Amino acid sequence: MLRRFRALLGVAFRRVTGRLQIAPQRVLLSVLGVALAVGLMVTVTGVSLGLASQSVVESDGVDYWIVPEQADVESIAISTGGVRLGDVHSTSRDIAADERVDYATPVLLELVPIEDATTGERKYVLAAGVIPGESTDVLGLSTEQLTPGDPHYADGSYDGPWTGEVILNDAAATVTNTSSGQSLSLAGNATNRSLTVANVSTGGTEAVGGTVPMMLVHLSELQTITGASNGDTADQLLISTNDPSVRDSLEGRYDRTTVVSRSGLSAQQVSTSNLPLAVAIAALLSAVVVGVLFVTTLMGLEVSADREQLGTLAALGVSARSRSIVVAAETVIISLLGGGVGIAVGGLGILGVNRLGTETFGVDTVAVFEPRLAVYALVVAFGIGLVGAAYPVLLSRRTDPLEVLSG
Amino acid sequence: MAQQQVPDSDAAADAAVAADAVSRSYTRGGGGIFGGGDAPTVQALNEVSMQVRRGEVVGIAGPSGSGKSTLLHLLAGLDVPTSGTVTLAGDDVSTLSGRQRARLRLDNVGIVFQRFHLLDALSARSNVALPLVELGYSKGRRRERAETLLDEVGLDGRLTHKPGQLSGGEQQRVALARALASEPALVVADEPTGELDSETGERVLDLLVDIADEQAVVLASHDQQALDVCDRVVHLRDGAVERVV
Repeated sequence: MLRRFRALLGVAFRRVTGRLQIAPQRVLLSVLGVALAVGLMVTVTGVSLGLASQSVVESDGVDYWIVPEQADVESIAISTGGVRLGDVHSTSRDIAADERVDYATPVLLELVPIEDATTGERKYVLAAGVIPGESTDVLGLSTEQLTPGDPHYADGSYDGPWTGEVILNDAAATVTNTSSGQSLSLAGNATNRSLTVANVSTGGTEAVGGTVPMMLVHLSELQTITGASNGDTADQLLISTNDPSVRDSLEGRYDRTTVVSRSGLSAQQVSTSNLPLAVAIAALLSAVVVGVLFVTTLMGLEVSADREQLGTLAALGVSARSRSIVVAAETVIISLLGGGVGIAVGGLGILGVNRLGTETFGVDTVAVFEPRLAVYALVVAFGIGLVGAAYPVLLSRRTDPLEVLSG
Repeated sequence: MAQQQVPDSDAAADAAVAADAVSRSYTRGGGGIFGGGDAPTVQALNEVSMQVRRGEVVGIAGPSGSGKSTLLHLLAGLDVPTSGTVTLAGDDVSTLSGRQRARLRLDNVGIVFQRFHLLDALSARSNVALPLVELGYSKGRRRERAETLLDEVGLDGRLTHKPGQLSGGEQQRVALARALASEPALVVADEPTGELDSETGERVLDLLVDIADEQAVVLASHDQQALDVCDRVVHLRDGAVERVV
């Protein structure tokens, strides 16, 4: 049974290759139809992969965030109080030692009660504790006015110089009625440490109702204020790099963490939507429908033109099932050929899209071609062949051997 | 009144194929759009009996429309009679399903067509091996059998040639080799020399006669040269046996 099946596949293969030499027009049209459908799908899916890799919206560098698994990726900018990462100073130092990494910092996020400088009322400000680098932005605020490094940490002893430097965003300054150079008082006697507004800056994270009141401080100082120095914890680790290969070395640095890639909040918003998946599914459905229509129509014509030979097979005693296998195999082979060409077409499409993206928007990589995309394309082409074979098989089964002898 | 050749029972049992009072009629058209009228019926064959034993070459002759092809189709198990019985390899063809008749043909009947009907994308060897694919032969056995048969018909140097690269006579010899591939009890040939010149036709006929030592051969032809090689010739007219020579 298996031997006969293999032999019939061989017959189908030789018939297709023979037809390509003798009368290739219809076969080539079928191949071209599937190739266009699969090529379009590969290109669009490449764009989806580009969107899903979250590095396409902004091209000025790639940021990676290591966050606990149960953290909601959509809220990484403002989430507080969840599972935290430990020993973050040494970890971020190790990561920053990688020459591919421009900058790495833990980020501790805490809602901190601040007394209104005018009324004394308690106001809440989102404090982000970071290790400032040179000319870096965290959560949309520049760390430039903070003393570089984290002096108070002092290799884990938390007895280094206390800077008390705070950078407020506009929203926080408004809420607390403070300005640059003024002292900040934490409500409820949370600490007796002094804090001074080093700068008021525009920016921060947008939320419903406006900009979130935020402030940047040194990580160790926020840890000291909030008690997070015990275990040296933080919510996330931010790594700034232009080299996407860094991601591999970040994976697995902590158990039960996720490495999230993004280039800014807009990219994050895109990446966490279902858009890439929706686009990929739409491309798949379009490819299947277009491919099946092409294959069904042209292989139907092929079978009609081939009735004499199929009738010959029937007259010789080749069963309807075997003839169906031959026709179905021919359809699948032609569809797979189309899939192969479609991979090349899709690859060229991705190159074209990326070139257009570079020239028009200055974006390096809009669409991504991965090897598994080729496997995916062949699987889809195989499916197109199988579904598209139904009608040609039906036609072949209706072939009457008497037509041949009467001819 | 149609002249009939009635087989005696012992001879029928020994025959590779036997037709006993077979008739075949066809209905043409559907009797009008609303199906109100009677569709015309054409009587293609009327109570014809004949039998062919292994080692015999029997010709079927007659003018166009006399029923030659219809009788050939019935004997080959490609069609079933409206009445009467065709017995092929001991089976009454009328009682078999289409699938069973296909299997019966595969095992017991080799067919040679007027226009060769080789699969143009396959080599001569692959064409000959086609019935063996369906019979489940291994690749090695298929090749060996096909090459032996092509050698027997004088085409051992054309194994990998495709039909388009062969002359008409060579194609018909490939078709003959294909018809013999499954070692059938019966070989039917429909105008086997119709597309060939007389010299090539003669060579094909010689091959047909040669194989008739082991097989029964039925050939339908207008060609006197072809009919001359037959042991008997059944002449048909208007669907009935006119005479047997």
